[in-house]
Amino acid sequence: MERDLGKPLFDLVLLIASAAAFVHASALPNIDIVGDLSPAFFPQLISAAVFVLATPCFINDLREWRSTARGDHPVGHRRAVAQWLLVVALTLGYTLVFERLGYIPSTAVFTFCCVVGFTVTSGGLSALSMGGKVKALAAAALFAVVLASSVYYVFTELFDIPLPG
Amino acid sequence: MISGYLDGLEMVLQLGTLLAIAGGTLLGIIMGALPGLTSAMAIALLLPVTFGMPPVMGIGMLLGALCGAGASGSIPAILLNIPGTPSSVATTFDGFPMAQKGEAGRALGLSIVASFFGGVASMVILSLLAPPIAEFALRFGAAEYFSLSIFGLVIIASVAGKSLMKGLIAGLLGFFASTIGTDPITGVGRFTFDQLSLLTGINLLPALIGLFAVSQVLKDAFEYDPSARLKASEHRVDIARPRFLETLKHWRALMAGILSGSIVGPVPGAGGSIASLVAYDQARRFSKSPDKFGTGHAPGIVSVESANNALLGGALIPTLALGIPGEAATAVLLGGLMIQGITPGPMLFDNHDGTVYGIFLAYLVANAFMLLIMCLGIKVFIRVLMVPRKQLLASILVFCFIGVYGVDGDTFNLYLMLGFGVLGYFLNRYNFGTAPVILGLILGPIAESNLRRGLQAFQGDWTPFFTRPISLTFLIIALLLLVITILQNYRARRPA
Repeated sequence: MERDLGKPLFDLVLLIASAAAFVHASALPNIDIVGDLSPAFFPQLISAAVFVLATPCFINDLREWRSTARGDHPVGHRRAVAQWLLVVALTLGYTLVFERLGYIPSTAVFTFCCVVGFTVTSGGLSALSMGGKVKALAAAALFAVVLASSVYYVFTELFDIPLPG
Repeated sequence: MISGYLDGLEMVLQLGTLLAIAGGTLLGIIMGALPGLTSAMAIALLLPVTFGMPPVMGIGMLLGALCGAGASGSIPAILLNIPGTPSSVATTFDGFPMAQKGEAGRALGLSIVASFFGGVASMVILSLLAPPIAEFALRFGAAEYFSLSIFGLVIIASVAGKSLMKGLIAGLLGFFASTIGTDPITGVGRFTFDQLSLLTGINLLPALIGLFAVSQVLKDAFEYDPSARLKASEHRVDIARPRFLETLKHWRALMAGILSGSIVGPVPGAGGSIASLVAYDQARRFSKSPDKFGTGHAPGIVSVESANNALLGGALIPTLALGIPGEAATAVLLGGLMIQGITPGPMLFDNHDGTVYGIFLAYLVANAFMLLIMCLGIKVFIRVLMVPRKQLLASILVFCFIGVYGVDGDTFNLYLMLGFGVLGYFLNRYNFGTAPVILGLILGPIAESNLRRGLQAFQGDWTPFFTRPISLTFLIIALLLLVITILQNYRARRPA
């Protein structure tokens, strides 16, 4: 079994978030309607239930983590984490510039960066000759431009979905 | 009912609707054929496209995706020994050995026809069973709806995650997310943090696309390994054509598949892999040559593939009649229905008379398109398996963005989508599951508003929730299910 600190950490995040939600809900105004519950009742009940259920999960996952022998991560783990972070960072960046840059430029840049990013993190680019690198980059750029333009045309013209110009 | 079917037929037999169903089926086939991509993801990606469509056209498109993905999981299962969807695991038992004998086309032909028969049979069962269940549910009041919501949450939480506790936590997270926004009774803003976009609550679409599409892309990005590229089948693919007569010749296996799928389908959370394994086991048990199973035996493929598609119609019964989905794909479909302005449940059969029968017929047409498209395009779909993963992942994210932004042009929803995507990734990674979150998000408002309306009506008295027979039945079943799941988990962990 792989030693994964992420499991108890995720449970801990749930515990903290549910406690914070409970406290925040208690600050909601109480409006008296005969027979009705306060607006805070449901959120407080749910956050309390999450806290109660997440506590044994946290203890179990922490125990499991402590009892699992420390070992090296499987081959390619760093690459996998880099790829995951790359996608999250690029998606966040895409969200930030989506309206400002307009749909076609932002989508083309995002797609190009995604494809090239995967090639770089997987070591695919360094294995290529200079000519091969230029060819791979040109192919990625072409793919990005064609995808962005064709999708823009299909959605704005055929489906009438407005996209930032 | 007959006039309802005639109205529904009129809605379905329009060029636009037929094209939408065909398009949905095609996308579903492509998604189902790609290992790792799911029918839930296909439906989530199609949701934005269906916005401007009339209900039957939009839902027909989503049903096409469900139907196509259900059938095409057999393509990689047969050709590569890699199930495209979890329900295609059992297809590898006989499909791959048959392909190794150089009869991949025959295996594909059998699987396509068996899927078609399974789908058609399940549509008949759906149309027969859903209306009486919905009619019964018309007796439900606030107490019953509250108990039904709790029952639905418990049932999906107990099967979606690998642990009951984690499944419940995931469901409660969805419940909590549903409380964000303006309180339905007092009008007080809850957890809105002065964000205008949150006043009306969490938008279902970014949540759906985030949990089912973005989280899957993140998972694929983590697992992306360029050295593990899929290779085209080394075995000769003979002519893939529909094998109607051969499939019917194995009627015992076909019936085993249809019955297993139809029985397992309506059980919320039971899922395709259970139905297909049950069908395979039953077909082998009633076979005259059980020892041939696992060696490339046609009845093995027929039973599994008919069960896979028979399951889909069964899973639609609780989704349409009670508003409780059977598993992830139908949970997303339920979201799609609500986005279309259709509230699943008993009133659906009362208010949208022609619409619901149109939905039944659209599902039938989707099965016909699945048969047609799979037969015509089988060689192309084999090539789909070779699409480079990095281009595919980037394209899926682009479609997610358009889908979410296209709803109302609100950039906040894009952040919400990313947030749900990251949350969904960790929920899946740590065995919580994402289906309970969506169900919680859908059932949360039903549970809260009915509990509070009920309490107002009963002058603050809680006892009717536990004394009205239907409400009590739902609560007892939910409690029993909790106890059974806890006992099963305890037994599984106890050392032998």
